[in-house]
Amino acid sequence: MAVEFEVNEREVWDGNYAASQALRQADVDVVVAYPITPSTPIVENYGSYVGNGYIDGEFIMVESEHAAMSGCIGASAAGGRVATATSSQGFALMVEVLYQASGMRLPIVLNVVNRALAAPLNVRGDHADMYLGRDSGWIQMGAFNAQEAYDLALCAFRIAENHSVRLPVMVHQDGFITSHTAQNVYPLSNEAAAKFVGVIDPVDDMLDFSRPVTYGAQTEEDWHFEHKAKQHKAIMDSKPVIDAIFAEFKEISGREYKRVETYDMEDADVCIIGLGTTVETARVAAKELRKEKGIKAGVLAIRCFRPFPYEEVREALEGVKSIAVTDRSSPGGAMGAFYNEVAGAMATSKARPMVTNYIYGLGGRDLSIENVKTILTEQQANVDAGYITTDLQQFTNLRGPHLGFFKTARS
Amino acid sequence: MQDLKLRASENRGKSQLEAGFDLLGWDEVTQGSVLPSFEGDASGIANLKAEERNYSGYNSYTATVASWRVVKPVFNIDVCIDCQNCWVWCPDSSILSRDKQMLGIDYDHCKGCEICVEVCPTNPKSLLMFKENEDLETALSGWPEKTKKEKN
Amino acid sequence: MAITSVKNLKEFSTTNDRFEGAHTLCPGCAHSMIVRELMNCTDDNLVVSANTGCLEVSTAVYPFTSWDTSWIHIGFENAATSVSAAQVMHKVRKKKGTLKDNDAPVKFVAFGGDGSTFDIGFQWLSGAFERQHDFTYICLDNENYANTGGQRSSATPIGATTSTSVAGTHSYGKKEKKKDIVAIMAAHGAPYVAQLAPNKWKLMAKGFQTALETEGPCFINTVSPCCTEWKFEPKDTMGITDLATDSLMFPLYEIHNGHELNILYRPKNIISAEEYLGAQGRYKHLFKPEYRHVIDKIQKDIDDNWAMLQRREEARI
Repeated sequence: MAVEFEVNEREVWDGNYAASQALRQADVDVVVAYPITPSTPIVENYGSYVGNGYIDGEFIMVESEHAAMSGCIGASAAGGRVATATSSQGFALMVEVLYQASGMRLPIVLNVVNRALAAPLNVRGDHADMYLGRDSGWIQMGAFNAQEAYDLALCAFRIAENHSVRLPVMVHQDGFITSHTAQNVYPLSNEAAAKFVGVIDPVDDMLDFSRPVTYGAQTEEDWHFEHKAKQHKAIMDSKPVIDAIFAEFKEISGREYKRVETYDMEDADVCIIGLGTTVETARVAAKELRKEKGIKAGVLAIRCFRPFPYEEVREALEGVKSIAVTDRSSPGGAMGAFYNEVAGAMATSKARPMVTNYIYGLGGRDLSIENVKTILTEQQANVDAGYITTDLQQFTNLRGPHLGFFKTARS
Repeated sequence: MQDLKLRASENRGKSQLEAGFDLLGWDEVTQGSVLPSFEGDASGIANLKAEERNYSGYNSYTATVASWRVVKPVFNIDVCIDCQNCWVWCPDSSILSRDKQMLGIDYDHCKGCEICVEVCPTNPKSLLMFKENEDLETALSGWPEKTKKEKN
Repeated sequence: MAITSVKNLKEFSTTNDRFEGAHTLCPGCAHSMIVRELMNCTDDNLVVSANTGCLEVSTAVYPFTSWDTSWIHIGFENAATSVSAAQVMHKVRKKKGTLKDNDAPVKFVAFGGDGSTFDIGFQWLSGAFERQHDFTYICLDNENYANTGGQRSSATPIGATTSTSVAGTHSYGKKEKKKDIVAIMAAHGAPYVAQLAPNKWKLMAKGFQTALETEGPCFINTVSPCCTEWKFEPKDTMGITDLATDSLMFPLYEIHNGHELNILYRPKNIISAEEYLGAQGRYKHLFKPEYRHVIDKIQKDIDDNWAMLQRREEARI
């Protein structure tokens, strides 16, 4: 039996430590990992819990992130609870195997501490790695602070291992701003956390020799499409399960999570939509703008990036006249991916509001309250003019001449 | 002796390992494309002979590759010494041996590679290749006599 | 471990197959002989993994599997990792008592072709051996990427023509020597490493049993003649294997703990490299006068290697 690790009602943890405590309390059987900044402390901490007898699981430090996720797949198919963590280049190296994990419907939990992708090399937070995983068939949830990194990691096991879901889950937090900033965190007691997460009930367990199974069969044109469609349907159908698990979590913790979070949106004319730590900055900016200029500004945050909450986004944005969607990843010759999701959701709305795209914060570039105010003020200008007054895609807090693409004005 | 009742499944040989044959619908497509090899409890399967096992329809044991073959080996039990060379070197698990005795060929799985004939040490050989449509009785009736050992 | 008797073929033939027919390997392929022999030489539960390659694409073609035991394939490179992580999960679940049958012995085995073993999966293999996982890795060495149409791998011998080391008027085929994977794996300090061949079925079965019984990572390179890419008739697979072992192109030996080398097979009549090469279409061009020197080089390499192995055996190094 593991040695009891005492937790206080209130702790001062950074996002990495919070995530690692969730892995300990969830009694993860095997962590297979490779270190990379800024996610390294998550798995280091798990390793120290193993080393000090706080957990009965095993830590396998492998030779690359590709091997880390490969090992997670092997261990998960062997019927136990599995988790790991990574960032950036490590995430990129994992990509091949991410698709395998979801295609095999294995309930692995991956803590992603978001970081930019090289070149040029950069260790700071942006969402390039998170976007790289967006078609991988994983459920993707975003934490905006350390408390949420802890809470969502616990919820992730419940969602992934639910028999009607059986999909791997990523819990994202922003590199350094969340992962390395110590904040107040109110953890569940060990007992409450263990009770909430429960014991994994394996499906197609490779170590159940009364029922040998073959994982990883080849499916050509007669089968592949049905399998991938079923996988897509499973992720789309996971929404009510996620909602139910969030509701259950609220009952024991008092903390409420929704797949789409809204702040000051009831009467908003303009809003900014963001992911990660951007949300907290935007909330401050929107409130100040309401006071300073009387602009009815709101903030919409996506908690669950995959499955993307199209209906909830459309519903929450009903009545909003101009929307700024922020993408913290270099779009590489298109609108930002997040913009496209929101624009897709709003294309079927009755009001058809204006939707604009802002690229910001690459490589850890700060997004200030003033930057957000500028974005929201431009939305108000759109509302006043009745058309989009700027380029559809702009860059925020970038040096040099104004950079914008796709003029909406038509001659 | 060629048509042995050692086959475990009644639907044996009905499935072709070819694209588009006998497609499952939507509901039968397995989660994660994971395939169970057996129906029911398969504990201790290593100690069960094929005919004692409950193979699932996903097990290739229930399928056939007979259409690959243009020539087939025919087994002559009268010459066989049960050395089991053909059993150990058959690449397609198609030599049916039970209780140390060679009983025949699994024509659902045999691809006609002729390795069994090559490794057969008897004189004349206990396995010889014939055209796929050759009648077994005809094949056996024309079996060659013992040949004199070639001098080196 | 519950090993099955390999005293003689008659006894071995009473074992029950756990690798089934109606897979889609080429007629005459040696892969299935090797795999089936591994599966039949123990009664223990098995967790088997496979790298992408001929074996994998031919034995798990949805909706069919030829495997009567737990089996997993992920990618081209990571069979060593997936099975070794499953082995760690087994250890944890055994400790926690969450297995369906907590006491049943389980063995963990990974299969890879030479492409996935020598080349693309080498890092994963090396990592798993360095971590000392308790599993057996078996390389089915057919000296080329047969599954993708016969490209050169770092296991392809010098002088062979492949689809990416093409012999012609200006080339005798592959220029580089085959990587010595057995020595490399022995250098990991693995408790048991061997090179075996299916024609010597009993040596192979005993080697497999030694590997399965030995705690820690064990590596076995098996010779798997490929009629499709080596260019010979399917019926000749065992004959070619005999030429491979008797020409000492594939000497059979084992190395315990990285240094105790034992030669497992000494041919009574060592045949020439020329005879081995001449039986395969992939070396046909070497018999032109201008490429004759390559045959001589191959023979010299064989002789040198055999001398080295004998010296190592004698010196116990």
